[in-house]
Order: sequence, then C-alpha cells, then structure tokens
Amino acid sequence: MSAYIIPILLILLIVYGVYKKVNVYSAFCQGAKNSFDLIKGIFPYIVAIMICVALFRVSGLGTVLVQFLSPLFSLLGIPKEVCELVLLKPFTGSGSISLLEDIISRYGADSYIARCACTIMGSSETVFYVSAVYFAGSKQKITPAITISLLGGVISAVFGCLMCRII
Amino acid sequence: MVSLSVLIIVEPNLIINTMIDQSKDVVELCISLLAIYAVWLGILEIVDQSGLGDKLAKLLSPIIKKLFKINDAQQIKYISYNISSNILGLGNASTPSGIKAIKCMEKDLKHTRFAMLMLLVINSTGIQLLPTTIIGLRAAAGSDTPSDIILPTIISSVVATSICVLLLFVYKKFKKI
Repeated sequence: MSAYIIPILLILLIVYGVYKKVNVYSAFCQGAKNSFDLIKGIFPYIVAIMICVALFRVSGLGTVLVQFLSPLFSLLGIPKEVCELVLLKPFTGSGSISLLEDIISRYGADSYIARCACTIMGSSETVFYVSAVYFAGSKQKITPAITISLLGGVISAVFGCLMCRII
Repeated sequence: MVSLSVLIIVEPNLIINTMIDQSKDVVELCISLLAIYAVWLGILEIVDQSGLGDKLAKLLSPIIKKLFKINDAQQIKYISYNISSNILGLGNASTPSGIKAIKCMEKDLKHTRFAMLMLLVINSTGIQLLPTTIIGLRAAAGSDTPSDIILPTIISSVVATSICVLLLFVYKKFKKI
C-alpha cells in the first residue's frame, strides 16, 4: 500500500504542473542543479562530525558510556540489551541500523527486545548528523537545541518501550 | 578531543587510519546524497513553480507562525516543505528543504534565532508516520507482524517531539531569545 503513495503523489504533481503551464522538465533541472552546491557546502562539516564519532567509538569511550548509563536506563524501563542502540542512534544512522539487524537476528524479530529496538530506531533521529548538516557554516549557537533533542531521544525510547509492553 | 587523548595512550596508529577511513565513507555518502538531493530538489522546484508550495505554506502557516514565531513568507514556505516531507517519512526530501530554510533564516538572524532552534529540534526528534526501512527489516527477518511497531513508534515520537517543543519554549522564556 505505502509503496504507491509517493509515486501517485509524483504523478499528480506533474499533471498539476502541466495544468498550471509550468515547464516541468526545465523546473526539475533547475532544482537538481543546486544539488552540487548543497553537497559542496555540507561536505566538510559531515567529514568533521563523522570523524569525531568514529574516534569516539574506536577509542572505546562509547562502551564506557554504555556501561555507565545502562543501570540508569533500566530504571526508566529500557531493557539493557537496547541501551547501546539508544546511545548510538544520535551519532550514526548506518551504525545503528547494523546494530538493529544484530539485535533482531539475536533475539528474533517478534521478541520484546527487538520490538523495543525497532521502535527506538523509528522514533528518533541522528541528532549530531542532522545538526551538522543543517547548520553547516552557520554561526548560530545550537547547543540548547542539541541538548533538548538528545533528551528527546531518551524520552521517545522510554515511551517506545512502554508502548511495546502495552500494545 | 577526549577520544583523541584516550587513543594516543591506547592505540596511536589507529588515529589517522580511522580518520581517513571515515572520511572515505563520507565521500561515498556524499555521492549518494548528491543523487538523492538532485532528485528531491528537482521535485521541490516543480512544487515551487506550480504554485503548490504557496498553497501548502498557506495551509500550514497558522501552525508554523505559532510554533516558530516568524512571519516571512519564504521562510514559512521552506519550513512547510520540511515538515510535510518529514511527516510523509521522506527523510531525504526533508534535508534539502531544511537546509534551504536555515539558509533563508540566516539572513535575518535577529528574528529567527528561536525558529532555527525549533527547526533543529523538530527535525532531530523525528516525527515519522511510516518507518518503512524498519518494517522492511523486520519482514526480512521473518516477523509475523512486521508492521505492529507503527503505533508505538508514532505515539512515542509524537510524545517526545511535543515534550521537546515545550522544553524549547520554556528555554525561550528563561533566556528571552
């Protein structure tokens, strides 16, 4: 079902564009042209942030943090098997996907643990990546927003696990 | 910084290797992003030129004005693209429109400080109605009911996003931005 939504919207959009006498082809090209500049602008910032993330992981500080925080998370109702995911998700999208696959194959797709992990994965975002990309080159101070977003990740994890128990 | 100093003690030869490996990954990521953004920016341009964008902005502007405290038509338009693609689960489409919105707000920093923070909070708490990737993963792993996580996901992300938005408003009150 959901596979049809986007293509149908696209067709409707093109039909509407033609009806409004827009040159759809050249409009598309004009927009697509900007892609290079966009990537050129954000590339250095993604490199920098991803290097920080990788160093953090390789140095073993990540594991230390997990051990330190998992008792706290257990108090909030987050199973300790998915703590690492909660902490990894803000940093890396691809890393947390592979961790999720690992959890699913270890505990089974329909287990409580795997459902919690999936919910956490779906209801949070890669905060550091998003902020690096959005604020590439900006002088705006964004620490408060990052703090709130990280907190939001934990809140959604707590609620997600709770919902998995109820539903 | 801290990770660097730990690594110097533990395994110094890993540092440069990790940095370069990671940088290579980012180059790959950027090439695929280049393609993805080209497609979505192209589509966005059609939305823009056909006048559909203005309609969407008009529809969402009461909410956006309240949440973001801005009045500029251009800014509202980009933010409405960003939010609607987020809700549709088109993460890849929301990023270019989000960047455009930030660039646009950057021009008049005095009035948009709060709006920029709000955009970041909303984007990084991630409202998503259909977590398609995850449903796909579950189905591939042989789940009987791969889509039964949709409801918990929606509820928890809506709760988290609303709490975060509230927190940001509280912060605004204290700091007076």
